[in-house]
Amino acid sequence: MIEFLQMTDSKKIIIPTLSRRHFMGLGAVAGGAALLNKFDLLQPSLKPNHQNPKSLYPPVDFDREVYTMCEMCVWRCGVKAKVKDGVVRKLDGNPFHPHSRGMLCPRGQAGVATLYDPDRLKYPLIRKGERGEGLWARASWEDALDYVASRMLEIKEQYGPEAMVFSSTHNLIQTQFENLLKAYGSPNYGTQRSLCFNAMITANLLTYGMEEPSRDYSQANYIILTGRNIMEAISNSETQSLVAAQARGAKLVVLDPRFTKTAAKADLWLPIKPGTDLAFHLALLNIIITENRYDAEFVAENTVGFEELKASVAGYTPEWAASKCEIPADTIRQVAREFAIAAPNAFAHPGWRTSNFLNAFQTARSIGALNAIIGNWDQPGGFFASSGHDGGVALGSVPQPPYPRVSAMRLDGVPWKYPLVPLKLGVFQEIRDAILTGEPYQARGWFIFRQNPVNSLPERHKTMAAMSQLDFIVTTDISMNDTAWFSDVVLPEATYLERFDPLHVLGNTVFIRQPVIEPLFESKPGLWIFKELGSRLGLADYFQYDDEEDYIRQQIAPLGITLEDLKQRGYYTAPTHQEKNGHEVYTFNTGSGKIELASEALRNSGFAAVPKWDAPITNDADQFYLLSGKVAQHTQFATHNNRLLHERTPDNPLWMNPIPAQQRNLQDGDMVWVESSGGKVKTPVHVTEKIRPDSVFMIPGFGHVSKGLTTAYGSGVSDSDLHVTYTDPISGSQALSQTTVKVYKAEEGS
Amino acid sequence: MANPSTDTPRKKRWGFVMESDRCIDCQACMVACSVENNVPIGKHRNWINHKESGIFPNLNQTFMPENCHHCNNAPCERVCPTGATYHRDDGLVLVDYDKCIGCKYCMMACPYDARYVDEEKAAVDKCTFCVHRLDVGQPPACVETCIGRARHFGDLNDPNSKVSMLLATHDHYQLYEEAGTESAIYYIRSK
Repeated sequence: MIEFLQMTDSKKIIIPTLSRRHFMGLGAVAGGAALLNKFDLLQPSLKPNHQNPKSLYPPVDFDREVYTMCEMCVWRCGVKAKVKDGVVRKLDGNPFHPHSRGMLCPRGQAGVATLYDPDRLKYPLIRKGERGEGLWARASWEDALDYVASRMLEIKEQYGPEAMVFSSTHNLIQTQFENLLKAYGSPNYGTQRSLCFNAMITANLLTYGMEEPSRDYSQANYIILTGRNIMEAISNSETQSLVAAQARGAKLVVLDPRFTKTAAKADLWLPIKPGTDLAFHLALLNIIITENRYDAEFVAENTVGFEELKASVAGYTPEWAASKCEIPADTIRQVAREFAIAAPNAFAHPGWRTSNFLNAFQTARSIGALNAIIGNWDQPGGFFASSGHDGGVALGSVPQPPYPRVSAMRLDGVPWKYPLVPLKLGVFQEIRDAILTGEPYQARGWFIFRQNPVNSLPERHKTMAAMSQLDFIVTTDISMNDTAWFSDVVLPEATYLERFDPLHVLGNTVFIRQPVIEPLFESKPGLWIFKELGSRLGLADYFQYDDEEDYIRQQIAPLGITLEDLKQRGYYTAPTHQEKNGHEVYTFNTGSGKIELASEALRNSGFAAVPKWDAPITNDADQFYLLSGKVAQHTQFATHNNRLLHERTPDNPLWMNPIPAQQRNLQDGDMVWVESSGGKVKTPVHVTEKIRPDSVFMIPGFGHVSKGLTTAYGSGVSDSDLHVTYTDPISGSQALSQTTVKVYKAEEGS
Repeated sequence: MANPSTDTPRKKRWGFVMESDRCIDCQACMVACSVENNVPIGKHRNWINHKESGIFPNLNQTFMPENCHHCNNAPCERVCPTGATYHRDDGLVLVDYDKCIGCKYCMMACPYDARYVDEEKAAVDKCTFCVHRLDVGQPPACVETCIGRARHFGDLNDPNSKVSMLLATHDHYQLYEEAGTESAIYYIRSK
């Protein structure tokens, strides 16, 4: 039986013929169709039971607790889920997990509203109308997977496996997603990384030989944050550590063109001109070196290229930097001296989503060099290699044959166009552009897993145009995200509270994500989906596990523990094999085995070997820098339909300083057009002192176009309609603040 | 199970000490409260005040978490015509939903604007200090999840409690002290 599901303009999903059989099916799993309405499931009886005075205030009671892991962002906090009668009532932080330490952030707390979102995908859907029309036929998993496999095999046969693009975002099941695409034989794999931290990670790999040095907040006395808004872009344990460090008396310096909540907490907020963080850090290097405030012994023993760095930064005086970054020279001098005096119990944070301007790579390199020359490596309050940096506990792996050899070029230009971008990071936006141009060859299909490129890639119109070039698009997610909305097949995955994922290793401890309740509706876990799809693609040998539990059992086989033990406690700590005597000697995984202040790899690829000034774009008088950055209540593009989070942060008005607002005759709340060379959006303006007059700011991730997201649809506007695609030739980073915009009053009716 | 209304020692006075400097306005407390207490969408039992001042680039912003103050001298209790709002021996100010007739006098009387109408309960509601958790030895949900550790909760009458020790060692103040409400929420003065 085929049921047509029309998602109409009225923002309601109408399901015309939900048969009694289906109704009963839902009831058996989830306690009835009440699940489709608001928060009924979470409501206890409305009136307290007066026969028992103790129940005047009915508690969130529970009959069992399940230890699992959060997935409201990528930080992977430990969760303690309270369940009553098969309903997840409350999520708490797992006190035993080092990422949560018993606390969850607002997104973690709101997980129940993602699980019980009435907009959850309930069964596989196959498109019936035009793409984006919202007309779907309900399909069985059998039919949907058969169909997906047949289209993927068709593409492979006609055009080769490279014609199929795969993309996904950072998650625990990524290894199995990669397993699928490698077994299929495609080199085209898009991740979120080039929209996020490519610049920082590439710079650290070339400087320290590791992706990201860890920071010791517990003993740091001086911390410099460059565009790292830790109080709002929450990484739970790191945010906790920073608050605690400040309470202990650590001094915090924040560079940001916007008065963020982190800036509000800073001892010194420096409202730096966008794109000039590099000048600031070059000047710090200049002062610390010329005033002999660096750790000469550490530099001599553990770094290469110091003399070249010294020569490179010789001209970058505080006065020179002040003219670029609009921070007074004396302030720069003061920060440099304070930082050097606090050394080695001090660090300049490497940043996270550093992909702001095309010079972000140089900024990240200069931050790396700054930490290196004060000798904070492996010192209290400095940088260190996190435990498990080399893999931690060795898990068992599922047996599989070798992957087929791939001979096709990667569409993202790695390494033929971007020689220094690590294969693992890739350049996602280039894949989209390659689909559009058909160069070096035409892609035909796209498999999207837990990702929403329609909202995340810059220049949404290009992403939509690229999708229209493709013969086949399949998206797997928990809700009808914007990319799913324009797909041909949509597969409903179980949420993080309903499935197992491959284990998470942190040093000598493994943590498990396990189902708190059975998957609702007909949603299925990713591990099941990949195995079923794999076998239909003739790739069953790559998925040699019976089910989710069997997969985990094979992973823990070498540890000598049972799955039941692991499920009960949520984690297992393996005995450490080596006694650590004093400092562990860490060998930097660079060409020289030392911290590379000057990089031969960069020189050999024709780039500057040492950090040097790279002027950012300057905006015209009538243009603003378009800044974007996170809020504590949302994660990327994935949480806007969560009603508890929507309640907290429902939209994203444009921040503007009162001076330019007055020049444009704009009052707080007025509607404005924001226009870049990539597109324009209409949004209310929020007039605030908390931003530089030359910049405007917008929270990313809003402006959903999928009518299957009834809470998020029509809320706010999307930065992807404004961002122009600018790719850093070294790191492959999309420079997200490189876009400048015009802002003008929207006349009524416009 | 102990009966909270009779077994609670009389000398207890539950209360909050808020450290504004540790509040990052993430609002985890608000979401946790909504889920823990089934607060209707659009209403809230706790909130965070923003105190902002200055002109770019000399700005100041302080975050002050707040909820019902469980006043010793509670204006809401005094104006309630049916006795629905009452005091427990340990200082908690609670609402008996069955006695509440929804007249909203208490909402008018509360200087902290801590109360709201819960349409489905057909009663006025507010923060209970998570009495259901308190009575089984757990802190309020907002306290448990506060990632900045800005919300401290405990017995203000116990000189050895964390809250009492914080007050003994830090400059502090209360909101609308002049109204004579004898609030159970103290704020540590910002650095």
